[in-house]
Amino acid sequence: MDGIHDLGGKEGYGPIDVDDDGRSFHHDWEGREWGIAQCARTPGITIDWWRHCRELIMPEDYLARPYFDSWAQTDFSTYIEAGWITMEEVIEGSARPGNPDHGDSPAPMSLQQVVQEDRSHAFRFDASIEAEPAFNIGQCVRTSGYGNVGHTRLPQYARGRHGVVHAWHGAHVFPDLSAQGVEVHQHLYSVSFTAAELWPEARNGKDRVYLDLWESYLSDGQS
Amino acid sequence: MRDFDSRKVADIHVQLHSHLPSDSALRVKALETLLVDKGLVNPETIDAWVEAYSDEIGPKRGARIVAKAWTEPQFKQRLIRDAPAAIDELGYLGKATAHLKVVENTNDVHNLVVCTLCSCYPFSILGIAPAWYKAAAYRSRAVRDPRGVLDEFGVNIPDEVEVRVWDSTAELRYLVLPQRPPGTEDMNEDELAGLVTRNSMIGTDRDLSVKPGGND
Repeated sequence: MDGIHDLGGKEGYGPIDVDDDGRSFHHDWEGREWGIAQCARTPGITIDWWRHCRELIMPEDYLARPYFDSWAQTDFSTYIEAGWITMEEVIEGSARPGNPDHGDSPAPMSLQQVVQEDRSHAFRFDASIEAEPAFNIGQCVRTSGYGNVGHTRLPQYARGRHGVVHAWHGAHVFPDLSAQGVEVHQHLYSVSFTAAELWPEARNGKDRVYLDLWESYLSDGQS
Repeated sequence: MRDFDSRKVADIHVQLHSHLPSDSALRVKALETLLVDKGLVNPETIDAWVEAYSDEIGPKRGARIVAKAWTEPQFKQRLIRDAPAAIDELGYLGKATAHLKVVENTNDVHNLVVCTLCSCYPFSILGIAPAWYKAAAYRSRAVRDPRGVLDEFGVNIPDEVEVRVWDSTAELRYLVLPQRPPGTEDMNEDELAGLVTRNSMIGTDRDLSVKPGGND
């Protein structure tokens, strides 16, 4: 979708606040939301659907509200959409008897268990498929000029542009369909673009931007 | 059940905009209260995740990987060839690093990592991303004006050095392998790890100082 989240190359966001004290969380609620996000699961959820639900936050909220706040809102939206929480419960701030109840709280996990659990979160997204990759390393390719009306990972700034295949990574879950609950694997490539291909004001001929792009975003750049 | 309906979710967000409290702490509290009431999460497990990512899982791990790559050429080879397997040797494979790629800085190349579409980050080796990495200012400009961005971080890249920006648009995650600073030949892995800044592993720092700076 051509949403507010697609920030690459957009202008007017001002200087970067480069100061950072290295702490992971600066407010308790940020840590709580991080922890909630690690535990939260609803049936059929995919990382791409969750990302898409975050992209769908109203632009004024997406830009103005703090980062982990937007995670919380995304979690609310996915739970409500799945029917596990109702808007009435959100408004009242408590669970209503008779609404979906998932029983006793899961058993608590210790620090050591959670550190171990993190290892099991090394999720893989690749799979072998029968189709051969359509493009070779070094080949000139052209990206699609259009996005997908739903979720997509081809940013606006890299559409309709010529690049060179830098690497092939096998077949990975295709996000545009994964965000609709459909798991299909497609060949994934790192494609490099000269800065001048992307930006009219680019002046250093050496600089390049690399994106990881699925096969259906690409066509042969010579034809 | 879930029907993956974008318009329905957009409408939910409009309602949440009206119904959720404005204060972020109250919003997250409301979410946790409902999830605990419904038996979906355990608050002690949330405590444990906060603790894990406050210190144990963080940029110290990335710094250890870098220092080991500097001191063990064989490890560096494995890291460049198959980063997930290499970091698994250290027990650091985890959240968002199953498809990790390591990109190496040289005298001629500087690498910079961004996620323009969300805020993808290699959690299990760098921990929670700094605020600037998740902010619109960085996400918008890193791909368009990387030299200007680096200048704001106090990093000047000479014209003859190529800047490579890696936009994390898929499930691959990137770790920049910074250059080992000169004058560190006698340092051991522990001492070297103390020189590696978090920013240098994202690419917003380049010339590391031999004066221990810790993880910024």
